[in-house]
Amino acid sequence: MTPASVILLGLVAGLLFFDFATMRKGGRRIFLVECVAFVAGGALIAFPDVATRLAHAVGIGRGVDFVLYPLVIWLVRESLVSRRRRFEEAERLTEIVRAMAIEQAVRIEGRASGGQVHGLGQSDAHGTNRAPSH
Amino acid sequence: MRVAVLMPVWNDPDALARTLRGIRHRASEVGDVTVFVVDDGSSPPVLAARLPPPDASFRIVLARHALNLGQGAALETARKLALRDTPYDVYATMDADGQHRMEDLRALAEAIASGADVAFGNRFEGASNIPSVRRVVLFAARIFENVLTGMRLSDAHNGFRAFSYRAVARVQIRQNRMAHATEIRQQVSREARGGKGAARRTDSLRVVEVPVSVRYTAATLAHGQTSLGAIAILRDLFHRYLFGGSE
Repeated sequence: MTPASVILLGLVAGLLFFDFATMRKGGRRIFLVECVAFVAGGALIAFPDVATRLAHAVGIGRGVDFVLYPLVIWLVRESLVSRRRRFEEAERLTEIVRAMAIEQAVRIEGRASGGQVHGLGQSDAHGTNRAPSH
Repeated sequence: MRVAVLMPVWNDPDALARTLRGIRHRASEVGDVTVFVVDDGSSPPVLAARLPPPDASFRIVLARHALNLGQGAALETARKLALRDTPYDVYATMDADGQHRMEDLRALAEAIASGADVAFGNRFEGASNIPSVRRVVLFAARIFENVLTGMRLSDAHNGFRAFSYRAVARVQIRQNRMAHATEIRQQVSREARGGKGAARRTDSLRVVEVPVSVRYTAATLAHGQTSLGAIAILRDLFHRYLFGGSE
């Protein structure tokens, strides 16, 4: 085993231990999935010949490329999917915050120092909240 | 003339109060002004008690975002609020930091009253004291927006503009942050040319540019957009293009 393999395996073990120690309630299944992925990754680090043989079997030159190619494709896709989700969640959040702001909007009447503010009228027959006309 | 001013504000209550006092002082010159102030999650929040009181020609409607969403989101909330009221003759967007002048508001409103649907303020024709770095960025932004929207304007990303009722009803701001200025121009361009997605091809919007003088001070520059904000704008436009679906 090369020094690099030892360092990488130590890193994998350290991360697994950290995630186990800080595991939240209900996070056991996620940790198990992480264990499977890390053990598989650890096996490829400890026995690089396995990855090389698998790579040659499918026409790829190096074992590391056999692991990296699908990993990069998966990461790019995951990045796009998570960005789209964040975008959609931000849109929903905006709509909620805006609806609350419009619902609670006030028209300032008279001396504002007296705190005289008025809501923008009652809901009409269509359920919309209309400001009174001047 | 009944004018609705759409005014987002974030974390500068003193400048807001000064700006509103200035508008109140000269509102009668324009006619009847209602300012739709949207506090975009300021901390501490804008207090109604600190705003100038209404008079015969000046009123304030105050709304508050529970979270800071961005200037575009606050403008859209103000637009929606104003559209719930009885129709105004003019809908103007103005900054809350006092860099926009009442005489320019009057000029923009008069352009709408004269038959234009959208009046974009042009800082390069007025007596604006635009810093040189900002000039370079705006020059690049102008070329970018002219190519992107197909509408040739002399200024880019100027927050001082006015709309007729039928124009403001057609412009929906979906960009929460600073890219809303480009988005507004894209929508106006589409509606002016009767292009794809326009409400009606025979009912296109008439667009004009009006010289305005924007006053840049150390405070407005510190609080406003930075030149590096252009990168964030490009990112937001790209994200909307990728994830926003067809409009």
